[in-house]
Amino acid sequence: MSTAVNRPRWTRQLAGLIRKDLRLELRTKETVVAMVLFAIVTLTIMQFGFGTRDDDLTRFTGGLMWVTLAFTAVLGVGRSYVAEREQRVLDGILVSPVPRVVLLAAKAIAIVIYMAITELVVIPVVGIFFVKGPYWDSIGWIALVALIANVCIALSGTLFSGLALFTRARDLILPVLFLPALVPVIIAGAGATHAVVGGPHDMSDYRGYCLFLVGYAILFLLVCIATYDAVFDD
Amino acid sequence: MPSSTTDHASRRVIGARAALIWGVIATVLVTVASVGVFLVAPEDADQGVIQRIFYFHVAIALVSLVAFAVACVAGILFLRTRNLRWDDVSVTAVRIGILFSVLVIITGSIWAKASWGTWWVWADPRLVTYLIVVLIYAAYFVLRSSVDDDRRLRFSATYAIVGFVSVPLSFYSVRVAQSFVHPVVFTSGGANMPNSMLIWFLISLAAMLALFIALLEVELVGRRTERALRALTLRLESS
Repeated sequence: MSTAVNRPRWTRQLAGLIRKDLRLELRTKETVVAMVLFAIVTLTIMQFGFGTRDDDLTRFTGGLMWVTLAFTAVLGVGRSYVAEREQRVLDGILVSPVPRVVLLAAKAIAIVIYMAITELVVIPVVGIFFVKGPYWDSIGWIALVALIANVCIALSGTLFSGLALFTRARDLILPVLFLPALVPVIIAGAGATHAVVGGPHDMSDYRGYCLFLVGYAILFLLVCIATYDAVFDD
Repeated sequence: MPSSTTDHASRRVIGARAALIWGVIATVLVTVASVGVFLVAPEDADQGVIQRIFYFHVAIALVSLVAFAVACVAGILFLRTRNLRWDDVSVTAVRIGILFSVLVIITGSIWAKASWGTWWVWADPRLVTYLIVVLIYAAYFVLRSSVDDDRRLRFSATYAIVGFVSVPLSFYSVRVAQSFVHPVVFTSGGANMPNSMLIWFLISLAAMLALFIALLEVELVGRRTERALRALTLRLESS
C-alpha cells in the first residue's frame, strides 16, 4: 500500500476555501445582508448627527462614507470566523494540511467580496443622500479607491479577527484592536474621495492617497505572512 | 551549596547589577540634560522659553519609537525561540513605550498651547498619529489580558509586531500629509538647528535613551524576581 499523500495544490485549496465561505454565505445570507443594512442605518444616523435636514453635507461625503464603511467592516470581519468556530469547522481546517497563508488568503478574499457587495449599495446611496452637485462622474474613481482599501481592510481584518477569535469577549476586543489600525485607511479613503467629490478634482492628491493605501496593503501582507502561523499555532 | 554562592548566582540570573548601573547612568544624564536645557542652551529667538520643551518632547518621541522597535524585535525573537525572556522584554518595552508616547502627547499639547494657542491641533498629523499609536498599543494590554497560557504569549508577540507596523506609518505621515503646522526640525538634509542647540538635544536624547534602558532593566529585574520566587515557592511546597 502506498503511503504517499496526494496533497491538493494550493490553488485548489484556496478555491475550495473561498467556495466554502461563499456557499455558506449564500445559504445563510447572514453577513452581507446585515452589513448592507447596518451601513444604510449608519448613513441615516449620520445625516441627523451632523446637521439638520437642509444642511449641505457634500464636503463631508468622504468622511461619512469611510467612517460608515470602517464600522461596517468591523461587523463583517467579526463574523468571518464565527460560523467556522461554532460548527468546529475551524478545527478541521487547522488539522488539514492547508498552509496557514492559504487560509489567510481565502479569508481575505471573502472579506474583499463582502465589502465590495456592501459598497455596491453604499457608494450610490452616499451620492443620493449627501451630495448636492456632480457625483456620478466620479463614481469610478471612488470605486477604485474602495477596491484598494478593501484589500487593506481584508488583510488587517483577517489578522485581527484571528487574534480576537480566541479571546474572551471577542466582540468587544475586535473593534479595539481593529479600528485604530484602520485609521490610516479611513484617512486615505476619505482624502481620496474628497479629492474627486466636492473638491477641485485634485488627481495628484488622489494618486498619493491610493499609493499610500497600496503601501499599507503591502506592509500588512508581509506582516500577515510572517505572523499568521503564530496565530493558528494550536 | 553555600548560601553566599547561591545569593551571588541568583543576583546574576536576576541581573540587578545591570539595572543599578543603568539607573546611575540615567540619573546623571537626566540631571546634566535638565541643567543644560534650562540654563545653558540658547533661547529660541521666535518662541522664547517654551521652545526648550522641544529638547525633551522630540527626544521622548524618538525613544518611544525605539521602545516599540525593541518590543517588535523581542516579539520576533519570542516567536522563533519561545524563550520567556523575550516575552518579558517585549511586554516591558511596550509598557514603557506607551508611557513615553503619552508624555509626547502631553509635552506636545503644552507646546501647542504656548505656540498656537490651543491644546490640540488636529491638522498636525504627528500629534494625531501619536494618539493613534497610543490607542494601538493600549489594545495590546486588552488583548493580553483576555487570552491565557501559551496563546497569551504568542498573541502578544504577534501584536507587538503588528503594532510596530503603525510606527513607520505614523512617522511617514508627517512627510506625506504635508503638515504646515508642526515645525519639521529634522529633514533629509540634516538637523535644522544651530550646533549649540544640537549638542543639548543629543544629550537629552542620550538621557531619555538611558532612562528607557534603566526602566526596562528595573522592570525585568522585577519580573525575573517574581518568577524566581514562584519557582522557589513551588519547590518548597513540593518538598
